[in-house]
Amino acid sequence: MAKEIILNRAIVSDDYQELTDDESAPSSGKVIVSFARFVKEGAELLATASAVGIRLPSDKLPSDVPLLERLSLIAIEFPRFSDGRGYSIAKLLRERFKFKGQLRAVGWVLRDNLLYMERVGFDAFELAAGKPLESGLQAFAELPIAYQATAVDRRPLYRRRL
Amino acid sequence: MAKSEVRWIVTANFTADGAVAYRRPDGSWSRALGDAEMLAAEAEAAPLASQAAKLEQREVSDPYAIDMALGPDGLSPLTARERIRAFGPTVPIRRADGGRPSPDKLAR
Amino acid sequence: MYQYDEYDTRIITARAQQFRGQVERRLSGEITEDEFKPLRLQNGLYMQLHAYILRIAVPYGLLSSKQIRMVAHIARTYDRGYAHLTTRQNFQYNWPKLEDVPKILDCLASVEMHAVQTSGNCVRNVTADHFAGIARDELEDPRPWAEIIRQWSTFHPEFAALPRKFKIAITGSVQNDRAAVRFHDIGVRLVQNEEGEVGFEVLAGGGLGRTPLIAEVVRSFLPKAELLGYLEAIMRVYNLFGRRDNKYKARIKILVSAVGIEEFRRLVEEEYKASMTPELLLPEEEIERVRRYFAPKSYRTFGDGGEAAHKQADEKWLSFQLSTERGFGNWVKNNTVQHRVPGYVAAVISVKVPHVPPGDLTDVQLDSVAELADRFSFGEAVVTHTQNLILPDVEVAALPELYQELVRLDLAPANYGKLTDVIACPGLDYCALANARSIPIALEIVERFEQVDYLNDLGDVSIKISGCINACGHHHVGNIGILGIDKKGVEFYQLQLGGSPGNDASVGKILGPALPQDEIVSAVAKVLDKYLGLRESAEETFLEAVRRVGLDPFKEAVYGGEKAAE
Repeated sequence: MAKEIILNRAIVSDDYQELTDDESAPSSGKVIVSFARFVKEGAELLATASAVGIRLPSDKLPSDVPLLERLSLIAIEFPRFSDGRGYSIAKLLRERFKFKGQLRAVGWVLRDNLLYMERVGFDAFELAAGKPLESGLQAFAELPIAYQATAVDRRPLYRRRL
Repeated sequence: MAKSEVRWIVTANFTADGAVAYRRPDGSWSRALGDAEMLAAEAEAAPLASQAAKLEQREVSDPYAIDMALGPDGLSPLTARERIRAFGPTVPIRRADGGRPSPDKLAR
Repeated sequence: MYQYDEYDTRIITARAQQFRGQVERRLSGEITEDEFKPLRLQNGLYMQLHAYILRIAVPYGLLSSKQIRMVAHIARTYDRGYAHLTTRQNFQYNWPKLEDVPKILDCLASVEMHAVQTSGNCVRNVTADHFAGIARDELEDPRPWAEIIRQWSTFHPEFAALPRKFKIAITGSVQNDRAAVRFHDIGVRLVQNEEGEVGFEVLAGGGLGRTPLIAEVVRSFLPKAELLGYLEAIMRVYNLFGRRDNKYKARIKILVSAVGIEEFRRLVEEEYKASMTPELLLPEEEIERVRRYFAPKSYRTFGDGGEAAHKQADEKWLSFQLSTERGFGNWVKNNTVQHRVPGYVAAVISVKVPHVPPGDLTDVQLDSVAELADRFSFGEAVVTHTQNLILPDVEVAALPELYQELVRLDLAPANYGKLTDVIACPGLDYCALANARSIPIALEIVERFEQVDYLNDLGDVSIKISGCINACGHHHVGNIGILGIDKKGVEFYQLQLGGSPGNDASVGKILGPALPQDEIVSAVAKVLDKYLGLRESAEETFLEAVRRVGLDPFKEAVYGGEKAAE
């Protein structure tokens, strides 16, 4: 039974399968594995699965990730909603490392975090257990304008005002 | 003179206005210290506090167990902090004269 | 002052609406208190001992009379008829109800105010010199830059879940830092390089609290256009590497001292180099757009506006100080400050009177102050770092009239910068974090040392009182600092001497064992008597004397069994 996530501001079924460290990878399909497992078996996984994603702990940096350019998805972990490292990791992945795949926020993700998360580059969200996804959809439009550069528009407001 | 005994109570803050809340024996919450359910030991009070933290979130926030003195007049706080929680600030809240300009105020 | 354009208005209005939704979801149970807490904190709503506090943002302390009237209206309608000035140039209310807060935010939005990010692990109110724009010793007005930093930091999506709170301050005076930048997470100083260009010196890692530290220079000269890009680099390094395992070791000052300033600078410069983009540069048009809001007022020209007129204006000001009406004379001498423009002064409205907690103003007083701002100061006032208010642009000739109005309002104590200009945090009377009460100590000091001649004789001396080690009363940088502690549920007070927040930054040193509540103010009296006894001349300030002789004579005075003089 596929779980539901928010992707590009819509509720969809997750077409990625999350594997534990012991589960063998299916012969095709999209998989998400732990960062530790990818470090060990990254090349093999990329050879078998049709798309590979990783769960990235919030104490890692983009430079820690091998074969970054071949990943289709990075799920950045938020062990607690107050652990904000994931926001900077996402920003770096999009801007410095030009990551083009799905950037998903996972862990203790709350509807009230989604607006900022999208602005730093996340496009997918797994809300914390029990949190209604429909409510999450309403979060994105709550602040109509950003003062800062965002993933959508790299110009800070002072450049849009001109 | 009778030595005052110690009792444990559960206290929190009302979500609506932040006012101090005391847990009654029936599990409801009161603004008056005198209504608090008294328990003999911390071991009895602490689980009630954690339960309240999980269940009564909408009504109260941050419940905890605390000890109080029990004397002939009822419960009284053991610390400055709980005294102020029970009875309010010890300093003027708003000037008695409301700060109204007065023609006869003298320069100091 | 800055005026919202349609972008600012839309954002702040939407924010009030957003918080309304969050309150509803809290009350309906969709989000827990734990999850709601950062949301309400970043809208300025603090849960304290027996009520909420709502802290509203006053960017670099600057207020219009219209805004002051709204502060009064909110106090009257939704609170208990008064508001409190904080040590970071903000206002706070002590008794708001949760369900009223969305309405309060709507009221604030209607006058271009808000309570955004005045609490929580995000970038807080940007503070500046409270004499910004008018000080004679200013290299350049820091307020346009404070406004630019404010907009950049407001709703910054990357930095709303920092390891801990983050405070930025900026000063425009090279010699006299009145914004205490060296005690901020990031301090910015306007400076001039050898080529005569004006740019920024950027410091980081200052702070008070459990571990008081003086900030270190990260970049000695930063061109103006690079300001925001550079600040982002510092914030990103902090967000990624600041400690998150221990709330008491989570500020950037801990990171800077742990890795050392050389390594910290290397991390920042590396991040800056890698992430700086042309878009992040500040265009000249934006700098100009913001600067225009801080253009000089339409000051009257006295005489020909030249040297002679300047001298004449100063003489008039001096003559007021010598007035036979001693109350007025003292007030002009102590509470007015020289202005860049001849014929004008800044007037300090001291909110430190007997029987009233320092920094508290009723709604009636606030409405009156708004009127005074309109009549005497181009409709503006500034919140100081010392829980007072300033009318920044007052004609010298108008001082007698202004003084009379202030006397009627009981806002004319001639004690700015003097002993009874006490700074105190709310303390245990209000604050859930406190270990001891601070306001009663402040009240006792103000009442005991009321005598004007004694205050003048003592000269400039700052007393700062904190009710706990979080140091919101800034006791570490008081010439006399008092820290409340808890000894088995009983309040005790620790005395420290020799702190200073400015260019000559220093952290006060503890004098000796903590004293009970009924002895602390007498101890202060003994310290002051000792100073009067050992100072080299009436010109040697308390701070200078402490630095010259050290703590021992004062230790002896307080703990050595001497009695205070009558």
